[in-house]
Amino acid sequence: MKVNFFHLMPYPYLPDDFDDVEKYPSPSLTFSNAHFDPAIGVDLYHRYLDELEYAETVGFDGIVVNEHHQSAYGTMPSPNIMAAALARRTSQATIMVLGNAIPLRGNPLRVAEEIAMLDHLTKGRLLSGFVRGIGWEHFGHSINPADSRSRFNEAHDLIKKAWTEPGPFSWYGEHYEYRYVNIWPRPLQQPHPPIAVPGAGSPETMRWVAENHYTYVSVYAPTRVVKTWFDGYRAAAADLGYVPEPEKIGMALPVFVGEDDASAHREARPYVEWLFHRGLRQGLEIVFPPGYMSPAAMKGLLKANMKAFPELSYEELLDLGYVVVGGPEQVRNRLGELRDELGFGQLMTMLTIGAMPAEMVRRNTDIFATEVIPELKRSPVTASP
Amino acid sequence: MTVTDVDPATPPVQRRAAGSGEIAYRRAGQGRPVLLLHSAGGANEWGPLQLGLTGTADLIAPDHPGFGLSDDLPELHTVDDLVYHYLDLLDGLGLAQVDVVGVSFGGWVAAELAMHSPERVRRLVLGAAVGLRVPEAPIADLFLMNPPQLMRALFHDDALVSAALAAEPTADQILATYRDLGALARFGWHPFLNDPKLERRLHRITAPTLVLAAGEDRLVPRVHAERYAAAIPDARLRVVPDCGHAMHGEKPAEVTAAVLEHLGS
Repeated sequence: MKVNFFHLMPYPYLPDDFDDVEKYPSPSLTFSNAHFDPAIGVDLYHRYLDELEYAETVGFDGIVVNEHHQSAYGTMPSPNIMAAALARRTSQATIMVLGNAIPLRGNPLRVAEEIAMLDHLTKGRLLSGFVRGIGWEHFGHSINPADSRSRFNEAHDLIKKAWTEPGPFSWYGEHYEYRYVNIWPRPLQQPHPPIAVPGAGSPETMRWVAENHYTYVSVYAPTRVVKTWFDGYRAAAADLGYVPEPEKIGMALPVFVGEDDASAHREARPYVEWLFHRGLRQGLEIVFPPGYMSPAAMKGLLKANMKAFPELSYEELLDLGYVVVGGPEQVRNRLGELRDELGFGQLMTMLTIGAMPAEMVRRNTDIFATEVIPELKRSPVTASP
Repeated sequence: MTVTDVDPATPPVQRRAAGSGEIAYRRAGQGRPVLLLHSAGGANEWGPLQLGLTGTADLIAPDHPGFGLSDDLPELHTVDDLVYHYLDLLDGLGLAQVDVVGVSFGGWVAAELAMHSPERVRRLVLGAAVGLRVPEAPIADLFLMNPPQLMRALFHDDALVSAALAAEPTADQILATYRDLGALARFGWHPFLNDPKLERRLHRITAPTLVLAAGEDRLVPRVHAERYAAAIPDARLRVVPDCGHAMHGEKPAEVTAAVLEHLGS
């Protein structure tokens, strides 16, 4: 089991009347950046990078950054910049960029180049994730959601070829045309850095990730739904005659470990509620704009019949498996159950939950590292639960 | 709004090969041929406007690629592609010249078609048409609206909004609407429901043109209709009062009468 520390870098200082959903339908896309105070922002970036660096020192296998645009939910428009900031301040942890939202890029070769550079800066400790980008980011960057999947596929194919085949070569695609592809540097890891892709139940994604033997990562869903995703991925792999190693299946999960069960819930509750009721307040129309989902994926989503995040109470979030909160023993047991039920070999813990203050994140990280990680690493993950 | 077929007089859906697949269309009536280009929500619709046109004309009402009962034809990406698609259709049907009635998104396609091949269009009607780039009065971002917001933007009369929202949609209806809007996104996400080159080319249109504006259009500001009417040489502007963007859904009698009058029926 690999245990990683995943940061979203939220901007926690929302206005006092943020619960007015008419006024603030979301912290993303339309929430004015007049609410971003640069004097606070500068300290947040350094605090958050400190938290990622600290995770390495207490034994996390990987540290994870991601990409979001025009949002207080996450303030990393360029994850590669964050990975670069971490590259020479760390020496052991895998730096996981999860990932670059390649459909949003006008020039995917730039991603190929930056990841290749990062691979050298980290001396081969880099994992390169690729993501579609959330719906609202297609509004924000004027990228047609109806082109999102084909842009993703083409950008991926181009980047991979740029990493693995000697240049110069030319590229004539539906979205991109280059007469000279010949990136310097080439990546350090051969044939290329490992690749991970998050999925949210889309059968096309499952099959595509399985075909390429990439790592499949879940985000924010009930355990019963995550199980259908991971089972779907394993089934798609089995169709191809491939059995993914447990480490090719990752689960991203907000976790809080307190000193005991009761105090943990008392402490974590407002931050879990911040994340799901404020950070993830987003109408379906900005998450899944027209064309973003294939008909099959949309059908699956309707069938999964999930409530919108802000409609889930704290108790539901716990019961359904969106988050794990408790004392050390409860968290150990719960994560062990999830691992056995779902068969994931990568855990992307989100220990900075919403607006959680620095000292609480530090305590969460310390207790998790000393009381939970050793137990998670003790038991093997079964590949096919 | 898609009108469910209940009237036994509704002509059957026909299919014909186009590009990588097939499109669906209905054809009925006798007289001069009229090509009706539907709005984003108007695929597979058969209502008062269509019935009115079949009374005096040979109405051809196709579903755009990706909408309604037509196949996706994913090779088509832009309204310019749709112009060639419809020229192919007219050629295939052996129609040298037609009247063209375009509504909302279909109005944009109609304007581009008449501009590209003016000799193919005898009379033109643009109803609440999108297509112009007006940065100071942009079209409202319907992609950002949830279903209640969209209904309130489409209809002026609250009773029509309430009626449209009264019944919970079925999963199939949600999927069909998502597909239609996905096709609209394919052709109109960026640039957003406009062609920056359209306005300076509209002078090529030779057909007498009726530009119909909805008096209370919350999606397309009035200036769009005014600029269409100003840029097309033989155009007149007519405003349908107390009417929202979904013009022939909200005021079917007035809109149908205005269209028929212009076509000289």
